Amino acid sequence: MKIDATKPLEYGSEENSNKIFGFWIFLGAEIALFSTLFTVYFVLVNRYATGPNGTELFELSGVLWETFLLLSSSFTIGLAVHSMRLGLKKPMMIFFGLTLLMGLGFLGIEITEFFTYVHEGATISTSAFTSSLFVLLGTHGAHVSFGILWGASILLQVKRQGFTLATANKSFIFSLYWHFLDVVWIFIFSFVYLKGLM
Amino acid sequence: MKWDEFFVTGEPMIYGAMASIVLVTIAIIVGLTYFKKWGYLWREWLTTVDHKRIGVMYIISALIMLFRGGVDAMLMRAQTAVPENKLLDAQHYNEIFTTHGLIMILFMAMPFIIGIMNVVVPLQIGARDVAFPRLNAISFWLFFTGAMLLNLSFVIGGSPDAGWSAYFPLASLEFSPTVGNNYYSLALQISGIGTLLTGINFIVTILKMRAPGMKLMRMPMFTWSSLITSVIIAFAFPVLTVALALMMFDRIFGSQFFTMSNGGMDMLWANLFWVWGHPEVYIVILPAFGIYSEIIATFSKKNLYGYTSMVVSMVVISLLSFLVWAHHFYTMGQGAMVNGFFSITTMAISVPTGVKIFNWLFTMRKGKITFTTPMLYSLAFIPIFTIGGVTGVMLAMASADYQYHNTMFLVAHFHYVLIPGTVFAVIAGFHYWFPKVFGFKLNERLGKHAFWWIAISFNVTFFPLFFLGLQGMTRRMYTYSAETGFGPLNLISFAGALGLAFGFIILVYNIYYSIRYSPRETDGDPWDARTLEWATSSPIPAYNFAVTPNVKGRDALWSAKHDNQPIFDGKIEPIHLPSNSGKPVILGGVFFVFGFALVFSWWIPAIISGIAILIVLASMSFDRDHGITVSVEEIMETEKKLRGETL
Amino acid sequence: MMKQLFPIRHVMGYLTSLILSALALTALLDIPFASKMAILAVTAIIQASLQLFVFMHISEMASTKKELYLNIAYALFVGLVTLFGSMFIFVWGWYS
Repeated sequence: MKIDATKPLEYGSEENSNKIFGFWIFLGAEIALFSTLFTVYFVLVNRYATGPNGTELFELSGVLWETFLLLSSSFTIGLAVHSMRLGLKKPMMIFFGLTLLMGLGFLGIEITEFFTYVHEGATISTSAFTSSLFVLLGTHGAHVSFGILWGASILLQVKRQGFTLATANKSFIFSLYWHFLDVVWIFIFSFVYLKGLM
Repeated sequence: MKWDEFFVTGEPMIYGAMASIVLVTIAIIVGLTYFKKWGYLWREWLTTVDHKRIGVMYIISALIMLFRGGVDAMLMRAQTAVPENKLLDAQHYNEIFTTHGLIMILFMAMPFIIGIMNVVVPLQIGARDVAFPRLNAISFWLFFTGAMLLNLSFVIGGSPDAGWSAYFPLASLEFSPTVGNNYYSLALQISGIGTLLTGINFIVTILKMRAPGMKLMRMPMFTWSSLITSVIIAFAFPVLTVALALMMFDRIFGSQFFTMSNGGMDMLWANLFWVWGHPEVYIVILPAFGIYSEIIATFSKKNLYGYTSMVVSMVVISLLSFLVWAHHFYTMGQGAMVNGFFSITTMAISVPTGVKIFNWLFTMRKGKITFTTPMLYSLAFIPIFTIGGVTGVMLAMASADYQYHNTMFLVAHFHYVLIPGTVFAVIAGFHYWFPKVFGFKLNERLGKHAFWWIAISFNVTFFPLFFLGLQGMTRRMYTYSAETGFGPLNLISFAGALGLAFGFIILVYNIYYSIRYSPRETDGDPWDARTLEWATSSPIPAYNFAVTPNVKGRDALWSAKHDNQPIFDGKIEPIHLPSNSGKPVILGGVFFVFGFALVFSWWIPAIISGIAILIVLASMSFDRDHGITVSVEEIMETEKKLRGETL
Repeated sequence: MMKQLFPIRHVMGYLTSLILSALALTALLDIPFASKMAILAVTAIIQASLQLFVFMHISEMASTKKELYLNIAYALFVGLVTLFGSMFIFVWGWYS
């Protein structure tokens, strides 16, 4: 395999650059996917029937913590890639691990929140509004959960093999995925929670 | 669940289908064992990552599905041939028109086109394979899993019966209580993931894997159309993913998206379905346009007229295709402003399409036309498709649409678009590229016989439906009384359907006949064609081109033959190829179990197979496979053998 | 070492994103609805671009920069058309 030394390792071969490019297109498809979920949410947001609406359901404090954790994890995964480009394995693994931990923290809060909703009588079958809320948040949460499993397996490979064409490529692609989840969250934060609380 | 609910019972035709499924399965297993072909099948096909072999598997699956969907079609035409017919009951008829639509669009047209893309695109751009060969195999196996899952519904649990568009509330648990629409959501979801991955794979392949000198504006038109189609796939399929997931949640987990109470909105399904559904039409038609562009240019012995305008019109079509979806439900209840907007965008699409029609006509003008089988299909396409297009503009006018919405007029229209557009194209492409893949042509005499049967019978079948629609016969009605006067035209249509079936039988017989008797080609270029795929030998070696081609203009092979511009001016170097992998087919199998368990809401098998999916994915991630390298000596040897020289 | 591990670009990006999130909270104040939506839209769009350009390095490879912009533009086109088209059909343009 030819390694191009003028570029960072994650772009080091044609195959690697193609994978990064392909993943960007996948993220484009993800934009279309989440846009559709937002569409469903906005069409159904006022159709809460006899169930609770957003203003009654949402709690700002949990959402602020979720936002803080996700923004910070996006920061640390950025630092992990930065360390990787400097060839510093240990800091990279620490930043990467911190990212996954904050992801877990985010999931913990989200799951607690879901339990509270159900406790307050808002399940997925209460109304069209709650259905669309659970599915929008749930899809994002499922992405975060998958990301934690995927990230852990990459971290394991970095630990075993160090920085190779393959592991550097995977770590970089994972960072793109994670940043993208943060972007989606920003829109959920603004247009689901804040708009709901207005 | 009781066993008599698990299997579909009480219908002699379905017992026949069950018996034939069991017999065919036994025959395949016995045959493979007797001829000791298991190892061959596994090594050469099931585990392959070679784009050509994957393409062939797509096309074989598509042909089988064409047969299945065709039988559905024959049954429908037979049932409506005379008034008050008792051949099928209402439920069975519902299931048959639903699966006919699903199979023909998603499991015949799409895989046929993706199959041809797989075979042709890497060759046309001078690449060794697609960008992600193993992902390509995953795509195929996910598609195949979805197709098998949908076909299984016929005998186990019951087929979907709410139409291929599965409108709510009809498709809800309340009105479709069988598991049929669970199959719908899961089979389409699984094959849809495969299609999305194909789209991404081909975008990267076409943008990043082109041979030196193959600039974007030098690419063959079929490659251009594949690129645009892949872009539409990548951005339209996520919408289907969401729609199907919501359908599954409504039916399995009791959510309220498309329900009639608690704020649910049944029309939202129609909306989401067509946000994907209309681009889907262009996903299956644009590559067909690409196929026609190649064939018409080759057999007119001229370069394609208006290359740039062809590209621009496809880009415009791809954008417009996302702006027209509401024309599928003008009568749903939205205001005149909405209908007016979507009416205008819909009519606008006919402009770039018209540009393409004129370009094909001008390509043929003053050309030396040879009337081969693929060319005959292309020539028939132009007038027949134009009828489909013109009736499309009629349907696009919202106020007029209120008159013929959901009548046979619509059915006639979309068959007039899809059959000459897509089906003729894939058949033409099949005849055109067959010698490239297998090294011999399909018999021309039988091919032309089949063509005339198919082209004439098609019009006999579908032209009467325009009049039936205008007389008020709605689609999807399983029978009608004699007083309606629909009888005679329906009978003519049935006669046409028989002719179509006969044409397809000749086509299949032609494959068998040609395998046995066609003379084998020694030259890789039997049609005196223009593009790069004909520059390598047929059948194609695993590495496609011994020397990476160096492209100096459009129609690279034509310039090489006539303007003395050599394509292969480099020297042979060792070639790196990906190695085979059994994991894609295993992944397909695990997805099959997962989908099947979810259809019946068997939670424990569903969770176990769901975890198994993650394990297979993880094991792929941990794989460290560096592929194989073909040495210069091996390449020289293969090349000599392909040229028929003795070693 | 700290300077090396925490490049100023990333730190500034992070701080900006926190500030923008806080700014978005002003939408909860008692101001006209249009201004609230404007605040939410502007802060969210800046935040998303921040991720895209500062953290995801969308523009770092000259060979793919143009294609990636087109990719995002096409995705946004489809997403926004779906969103506003559906709102047009079901909310703003519904027959009443």
